[in-house]
Amino acid sequence: MIRSALRDPLAHFLLAGAAIWGVLALAGEPVDPAERSITLSREQQAGLALAFERTMGRAPTDAELDARVDQWVREEVLYREALRLGLDEGDPVVRRRLATKMDELAGAEAELARPTEAQLAEWYRDHGTDYERGGILNFEQAWFPTREAALAARGEDRPQGQSTSLPRTMAKADREDIARAFGTAFADEMLALSVARDWQGPIRSGYGWHLVQLYHREEGSVPPLEEVRDRAERDWRGRTIQARREKAYQLLRDAYTIEIE
Amino acid sequence: MRYLLAVGAAGLLLASCSDGAPGEATEAQQGDGTDTVDLAEFPDRPYWGDTHLHTDVSVDAFGFGVRLGPEEALRFARGEEVTATTGMKAQLDRPLDFLVIADHSDAMGATRRLYDAPRMMVRDPTLRRWYDMMHESPEQSTRAVAELITAAANDEIPEAFRDPERQAAATRELWDRHLDVLDRYNEPGRFTAFAGFEWTLMPSGNNLHRVVMFRDGSAKTREVLPYPGLDGDVTGLWDYMDAYEETTGGKVLAIPHNSNLSNGQMFELVGPDGGAMSAQYARRRAAREPVVEATQIKGDSETHPFLSPNDEFASFGVAGWELGNLPLTERSTPDMYAGSYLRSALLRGLTLEERLGVNPYAFGLIGSTDSHTALATGDEDNFFGKHTGNEPSAERAMDAQNLGTRQGRFGWHYLAGGYAAAWARGNTRAEIFDAFMRREVYATTGPRMVLRLFAGHDFAASDWGGDWVRAGYTRGVPMGGELEDTGRAPTFLISALKDPDGANLDRVQVVKGWVDAGGEAQEKVFDVAWSAREMDGASDSPVPPVGDTVDRLRATYKNTIGAAELRATWTDPEYRRGQRAFYYVRVLEIPTPSWVLYDAVRFGLKLPDNVIEANVIQERAYSSPVWLRPKNRPQTRPQVGDAPPIMEAE
Repeated sequence: MIRSALRDPLAHFLLAGAAIWGVLALAGEPVDPAERSITLSREQQAGLALAFERTMGRAPTDAELDARVDQWVREEVLYREALRLGLDEGDPVVRRRLATKMDELAGAEAELARPTEAQLAEWYRDHGTDYERGGILNFEQAWFPTREAALAARGEDRPQGQSTSLPRTMAKADREDIARAFGTAFADEMLALSVARDWQGPIRSGYGWHLVQLYHREEGSVPPLEEVRDRAERDWRGRTIQARREKAYQLLRDAYTIEIE
Repeated sequence: MRYLLAVGAAGLLLASCSDGAPGEATEAQQGDGTDTVDLAEFPDRPYWGDTHLHTDVSVDAFGFGVRLGPEEALRFARGEEVTATTGMKAQLDRPLDFLVIADHSDAMGATRRLYDAPRMMVRDPTLRRWYDMMHESPEQSTRAVAELITAAANDEIPEAFRDPERQAAATRELWDRHLDVLDRYNEPGRFTAFAGFEWTLMPSGNNLHRVVMFRDGSAKTREVLPYPGLDGDVTGLWDYMDAYEETTGGKVLAIPHNSNLSNGQMFELVGPDGGAMSAQYARRRAAREPVVEATQIKGDSETHPFLSPNDEFASFGVAGWELGNLPLTERSTPDMYAGSYLRSALLRGLTLEERLGVNPYAFGLIGSTDSHTALATGDEDNFFGKHTGNEPSAERAMDAQNLGTRQGRFGWHYLAGGYAAAWARGNTRAEIFDAFMRREVYATTGPRMVLRLFAGHDFAASDWGGDWVRAGYTRGVPMGGELEDTGRAPTFLISALKDPDGANLDRVQVVKGWVDAGGEAQEKVFDVAWSAREMDGASDSPVPPVGDTVDRLRATYKNTIGAAELRATWTDPEYRRGQRAFYYVRVLEIPTPSWVLYDAVRFGLKLPDNVIEANVIQERAYSSPVWLRPKNRPQTRPQVGDAPPIMEAE
């Protein structure tokens, strides 16, 4: 467990981040960029060129790139001096942007990742019930405008009810199918019924009252992973991003003593 | 500085450990759905969807604050819970069956890129000002986008934003990623994710926008990029659509919307250059734009009281929106209304057909949201607003909501609604798209009523006792169809079921439009079914109002009035041989509270009386029309089960 955790890039992020943040937090010192050397790496220069290209639709000329580099250095110097003066503090825009960036970094890895079979299987073990189909029913129904009318017809061999455009029978219908046709309350009541030879009810729907004959029912079951693989993978990704952000935040937050007066 | 180093180091670590491509969709998910599911013999249920949803990829939506993207939009539409931008949990009671994410093609993703850019790279003074406003506060960001839309309307958008060449590379990356996401969420038989975009033609602020919707999966849609077009005219879009179909063998259609904000230009009697409309133009329009969006958050475009003075229900969703064009830079005058509302456009179609031999305005009707929150909500009690700036809050109901000016439109003028229903044989891209092509679709203002309409010559009330759906398809035509004029009055089988989780029905009406013997366009609304209530004797006396159970203070209503289902077998009593006409059905619910009253309860608001009364509403559904087709003229639209037509490129 520990070994696999150590291979997890999130753990690297957290450890690196926590170490540095921890030092900062423990030392309690203000941001003090004692280091007065500035290095603009090849990658950063390529980044400048790319940003230029994105805005202008073509690569920069050497002169244009030089101008960008000069500008970058100028901004970097002023930026460091601004930090030195503490100008970043109390600026909501700076605060929010950096916070968002940290969040996105924590989630970024998972946004592109594809879970391994083992990860997906583990996810599915823990969340399988999310994919449960809540019972599959075959039934026949008869519609009545009032409860009294339905009760009066209950003794009939095969109650007809009044003619409507509602489906007389539904086969292999799950909760969503039933709710779509008869409403959510009716669907929940149907799912609570047991199979019986007799007509049951009356059950209320958005339309009125129904006598129903439930003649087949498959209990709710968790489909095998193969059937819901895509959804499981999407869910894994979505929740992993969320979880990583939360974990990263918690780890960082734990390094602080927070007092809200 | 160490703070930043930490971020940088962590970023590098993450990047170097990235281990592969995103999950790939299966072959079935990537295609148009043909041969992936068992199809019903006839369309057996309406599939519910939204064809007009914006996410953080749209220039304006991002600027208005939304931070949810296409993936969250799809999860939400499928019924999963997501967290809205402003932090509330959001979920649909009942999922949708399909979704078209229609982000603006112009400067696609550009506000997001602008926002994320280093400030020093933003050299254009206007863009830099917007950049600063977007970073300052949500209010300033909204203001920046209002300026942006007005600038677009006035043709003053900075070059860096409008030049398609400059945008192309960024759009390519974005579009490829988007199509992958759509395929991943597209699940034949269960949920359909369509590729699409919104094309934002807006000369002088007059709204001529179209949603473009593809039938195909990523193998074909990847061959093109969304077509931008603040300039030009609509034939440029049709050229693009022709080229797509020729190159890929795919299919694509366009859906005009918010004609109510076009100042009469959406359904003109002339061609796009102001000269006489040509038959070729009419033919292309009819082929390319089979349906029109009749109702959405920014108002309802069915008709206007000025155009339909004898229609007591003509004013729904008109207030505020009738004042002018989209940014309210030009006021509307009544002479413009006929080119802005659908019923008169359908009438103009008949008139133009007489002259041109082809009807450019023979369209079906759908609703959609046009939400800019990435959340396709159509219900009054779950309205997440037009954009992120008016997600639920105590202020939104009464706030001024204008883009260009500070007067005229307020939060409560927005409608919570618009969904599209498609009668299809299965839930796949191909089946639902083809339902749109044959106009077998209808609009609702949010509730999910089930509405069926068949027209024929030998229907009788006794058909209800048998398999009337089969009868409808085999002895008549469904909504969107054309019925050959045999010299006998047409008879209609009409069935309307209430939304099972919603309000009862008040009445069913047939709206007829025709050209009289003198060549004049006429319209009339017939009540054809209503919940049982006393008439005062005379057969042509109007149906009395259904009543009103709305508790204005609690935002509740009771289903103690109205009907669960209304049916009619109706024969046109005013038919004349050779009369050219269309018929569509309008279904009205009993009065219910709109989202504004739900807000008042939720946030303890004290609303003015006129606002309260304007927000007790009768929600509705509009079917696509059926047209009477002159004898011997061939069918112009495909029928159920036909292969999609091959469009002629002209």
